[in-house]
Amino acid sequence: MQIVIASGKGGVGKSSITASLLYLLKDDYRLIAVDADAEAPNLGLLLGVTNWEEEREHVGAKIARINPETCIRCGICRERCPYECIYMDEYGNYVVNELTCEGCNVCGLVCPVPGTITLEQVRSGVIRKATTKYGFPIISAQLDVGRPESGKLVTEEKEWASRIMKEQGLEHMIVDSAAGIGCQVIASVGGADVAILIAEPTPASLSDVQRVYKVVQHFHEPAYLIVNKADINPGFTKLREWAESEGIPILGEIPYDSSIPKSMSMLKPFVEAFPDSKASKAIREVAEVIKEEIIRG
Amino acid sequence: MQIAVSGGKGGTGKSTVAVNIAVELAKKFKLVLADLDVEAPNDHILLGVNLGNEREVHQFMPKFDYSKCIKCRKCAEVCEEHAIVTLKDGTPFLMPTLCSGCRACEIVCPVPGAIQEGSRLIGHTYVTETPYNFILVTGKLREGEERSMPLVVATKRRVKELSWDLLIVDTAAGTGNTVSKAIEGSELLIAVTEPTPLGIHDTELILELGRLMEIETWVVINRSDLGDVNEVYRRAERYGAEVIAEIPYSENIVKTYVSGTPIVTTNFPEAEIFRKIADKIYNFLR
Ligand code: SF4
Ligand code: SF4
Ligand code: SF4
Ligand code: SF4
Repeated sequence: MQIVIASGKGGVGKSSITASLLYLLKDDYRLIAVDADAEAPNLGLLLGVTNWEEEREHVGAKIARINPETCIRCGICRERCPYECIYMDEYGNYVVNELTCEGCNVCGLVCPVPGTITLEQVRSGVIRKATTKYGFPIISAQLDVGRPESGKLVTEEKEWASRIMKEQGLEHMIVDSAAGIGCQVIASVGGADVAILIAEPTPASLSDVQRVYKVVQHFHEPAYLIVNKADINPGFTKLREWAESEGIPILGEIPYDSSIPKSMSMLKPFVEAFPDSKASKAIREVAEVIKEEIIRG
Repeated sequence: MQIAVSGGKGGTGKSTVAVNIAVELAKKFKLVLADLDVEAPNDHILLGVNLGNEREVHQFMPKFDYSKCIKCRKCAEVCEEHAIVTLKDGTPFLMPTLCSGCRACEIVCPVPGAIQEGSRLIGHTYVTETPYNFILVTGKLREGEERSMPLVVATKRRVKELSWDLLIVDTAAGTGNTVSKAIEGSELLIAVTEPTPLGIHDTELILELGRLMEIETWVVINRSDLGDVNEVYRRAERYGAEVIAEIPYSENIVKTYVSGTPIVTTNFPEAEIFRKIADKIYNFLR
């Protein structure tokens, strides 16, 4: 089974909850973890991974380059670039901003001098594999600075993870989704059997989770909700009301607990670092509900 | 003038910083704040305002006129997004969500009129008056759309229609090319970070982006009591970036965040930290 954990935006505790859930499920099931937040991966760190066993470069991005020797400086490429990525430098040369180019090749098609603009394949990032000290493997990715959207990296991560699942006879893939609702999230959510949404009771988090829920709905996957920092904003009932009106079951509520940021500094799942904290008690209950309702159900 | 507020990872308090310095600097500049975190725009919520002046953002999509198409497959071959699939006989079909609207297919199609102008709604932009004497421009990607770049570009274009002396852009998390697109044109980049091991890792990435873009970069350490701030200072120094403020974890900041009142408009002692950041920016820009 493939379970994706999503929140719509960072900062609501998605990765610390994912790390703790992995810790709690690892003894009963054969798992693989996928950190699909290729722009700011941190699940590996939270699980204490310091050495990656295998690293694959991902060459997928394309970037346009202009040859100043043959360029006649007509400026057509700059006019036609849909994302305004071509500028004129101080010497009057037309130059592609490599940190914003999407690699669509429109500039190359409209340039009147054949061969002046070439589309080059460049590295878009790396995908890594490690075995955590808890025994299960993890796949993680890191997008290079300034590269185009990272959905392809996430798709490749999940393919690698699926192969490992087959080879090692693993049962469940737990995907820690990226922030946002764009290509990375679509690649994270697509193909999952179940989505677990994480939100905190604040207007901003509600807005983010509502948006990611719409993405989940596209794929017709059942969704569940975990309310994190459940007690930070007692008067706010809209999150729970929304879940109820959409028929999204709430798997549990986790109170704000300073042991969570502390455990992050220790690079450990909070349920391992502070097993007696109130957050840990709550997450253990959530893990039981997940076993009952999602995995066995 | 333009400055950007960014942070390697989400949830570091980037929007809190952007919104509060906007409120403060609006006293000195004719100001626009642009929320370019188009996948999860939240500045309006932090400001307690409802988005106004909605405008649809449409994107080109090829529409095939099969009576004219000669099934040469050129459109499918040129599409970098693989948004066009062809049947065995060469008949092209579009997979709409993959299309980025770049028009490469239209450019290469040899038959005039075989590709016609179609369009798709990919999101919205908003121009909202705030009670703090500045205008908020927001880009919001439609759910189910994969690509945020076109919306970032559209939102920046809408900003250009307005007049202002100072533009503050609030970017998405991460360091991909949509973040660099948002930052582009800034004279100053403010990286909001956390002193946790995870935060420090992501800080390096945003500092690297600032270096590659050759933009003066400052660091604001949020939740500064939750980790090792010295490590942040060390990394910042390595990139020639100055740490300009430390904001400790504070219930008051959480409370004002949740209630949609920027903390600089209150009498809480923490407001002073944001005012100092704004002062420092003011002196830099002057
Ligand atoms: S490849 Fe596309 S995005 Fe890049 S510079 Fe050319 S036209 Fe612009
Ligand atoms: S279209 Fe070609 S020739 Fe014209 S400015 Fe661009 S690169 Fe140079
Ligand atoms: S507009 Fe660009 S992305 Fe869309 S189908 Fe044509 S070539 Fe592909
Ligand atoms: S390039 Fe034009 S003529 Fe050729 S297959 Fe595509 S639409 Fe048809």
